[in-house]
Amino acid sequence: MTKPILIVGGGPAGLAAAHSLGTVGQSSILVEKEDKLGGAPILSGYAKLVPTGEWARDAIGGMVRRVEGDSNVQVITGARVAKFDGTPGSFTAELSNGDSLDVEAAILCSGFTHFDSVNKPEWGFGTFEDVVTTTQVEQMISSGNGVRCPSDGRAPKRVAILLCVGSRDRQIGREWCSKICCTVSSNLAMEIREELPDCHVYIYYMDIRTFGLYETKYYWRSQEEFKVKYIKARIAEVTSDGEKLIVKGEDTLVKRPITIPFDMVVHAIGMDPNVDNPDIAATFGIDLEEHGFVSSANKYGAMGATSRAGVYVAGAATGPETIDDSIAQGHAAAMAVLSGLHQPVEKSA
Amino acid sequence: MPIHEKSLIRPENLKTHEQLVIDGVDVSGHWSTFIEPRVVTDYNEALEEEISALPGGEHIHRCWQCGSCTNSCTVNAINEDFNPRYWIYLIRMGMESELLRDKDIIWQCVSCNKCTYACPRDVFPEGVMKATSHWLERKGHTPKSPSMHFDEVFTEQIIKTGKIEESRTIRRFFSRTKQGLFQDWMIEMVMRLLKHLPIGLLTRMGMATLIAPRTRNWSGAANAMQEYIAEQHEKQEQALTLAQLVDVAREDAAA
Repeated sequence: MTKPILIVGGGPAGLAAAHSLGTVGQSSILVEKEDKLGGAPILSGYAKLVPTGEWARDAIGGMVRRVEGDSNVQVITGARVAKFDGTPGSFTAELSNGDSLDVEAAILCSGFTHFDSVNKPEWGFGTFEDVVTTTQVEQMISSGNGVRCPSDGRAPKRVAILLCVGSRDRQIGREWCSKICCTVSSNLAMEIREELPDCHVYIYYMDIRTFGLYETKYYWRSQEEFKVKYIKARIAEVTSDGEKLIVKGEDTLVKRPITIPFDMVVHAIGMDPNVDNPDIAATFGIDLEEHGFVSSANKYGAMGATSRAGVYVAGAATGPETIDDSIAQGHAAAMAVLSGLHQPVEKSA
Repeated sequence: MPIHEKSLIRPENLKTHEQLVIDGVDVSGHWSTFIEPRVVTDYNEALEEEISALPGGEHIHRCWQCGSCTNSCTVNAINEDFNPRYWIYLIRMGMESELLRDKDIIWQCVSCNKCTYACPRDVFPEGVMKATSHWLERKGHTPKSPSMHFDEVFTEQIIKTGKIEESRTIRRFFSRTKQGLFQDWMIEMVMRLLKHLPIGLLTRMGMATLIAPRTRNWSGAANAMQEYIAEQHEKQEQALTLAQLVDVAREDAAA
């Protein structure tokens, strides 16, 4: 019988890794810093998930219940890993709650942090109440209250969704594409149109990256069935005339400046590296890649390997990731851990 | 010339004061020239709804502005101002005044349907051009062109009799377009007909001019067609009027 595997983070990747290890009888300890499991989809109150359309509380909630009911998994919430020492097969982790754990290996599923829109002050978040983020719209929908302007609770007649807020922007040191925001925005636009058929939704984009099969289900469907309008323009600023929000920019297809009134402006916020990544990297002795996400050492031979033997990584800790790919990576990292246990020297691919 | 590429600027947006002194500095003439920006200040959502209510315009909302229609366009090859991609965009974003600037060329579409085959999203741009032309006419932006008068005379006659009788068509066409019947080429043509056509054929033509020939048992078909046309017209008028009501409501709300 081996020692348990330490899993850091109880989001989709961590839940998947714990479940995988549990299914083969391998014990694991899942450490989550918040007081409940589920990660961003649960903690941030996501509504219907891409691509199945299932409610986050059902889909991810099911994963949480499965792990909580698994006797091979010990769940510790409200704790962080403060110290981590040792070698593959005999690591010791000290937690912030004083516990000390002897573990075989560790899988980091520490996820990401939502971009904070106040870092783009020209787009009005924090200044105007009716400028909100995609996460807030998700919460409006998942709460059952519907999409309403926070200032006075009215149903918006016209909504602008601004893409690439906190992504692909060298000005604020974020060069990466957050990968999911185009698809999430198309999905939200359809949800808004479904709830409020009289509300027109405009999406301002630089490029549309509803990659792979999302093209049909989100980009095409949002236009063909829901008449969502896409305008190629990067917005210069969001102001207000006292009643409505005024969105200024250039419509690049007609080479014309635009100054359009809106009831609500939604920032499609990107995925930042977890704000704790510098601490995590120092604690676990692993490298971060140039953007600040956890660097994966081997893309082809051992899924989820980091720069330190015996420490693995999965999900959005490695970079912007979808929920279903995070889950796949969690399972893959669990597999990599298991093969590492039985065959300590990893064969190269 | 102080402003280069002046040709790209609309004349009405070039503002120049003949006599102007600012802070004691004489800036008369081109020294005071400035260009008014062509800012889009609102979207008129009714425009797309109206065009899409007309036959051919149903799929306009699918367009993602790739430009395949304009690239494949027969008319664009000889007149680069003929740009279906651009018009579809103006309609979708509700830039009505911009669309109206091109009202005299939009109807020049020759319906070759190259765009229909090129379009990756099945927008059916040829249909959109047709719908837009109809919209321009219905809204009173364009007077009836001679070809439209001809189409009407031709269609009316078919619906009524099930047949085309050319001399009647021509006479009605001339009367609607307020042209005299006795034009030189017409007189010349009739003279030659008289000289060369066999008596039998001439007599039949003469009779047809006097008594409008009808297809036998046509009235059922005629009624069905008239009914259908009336139905469609009513539907379209309703769509256009409804959209106008939206406009009125919006103006009221703004006032």
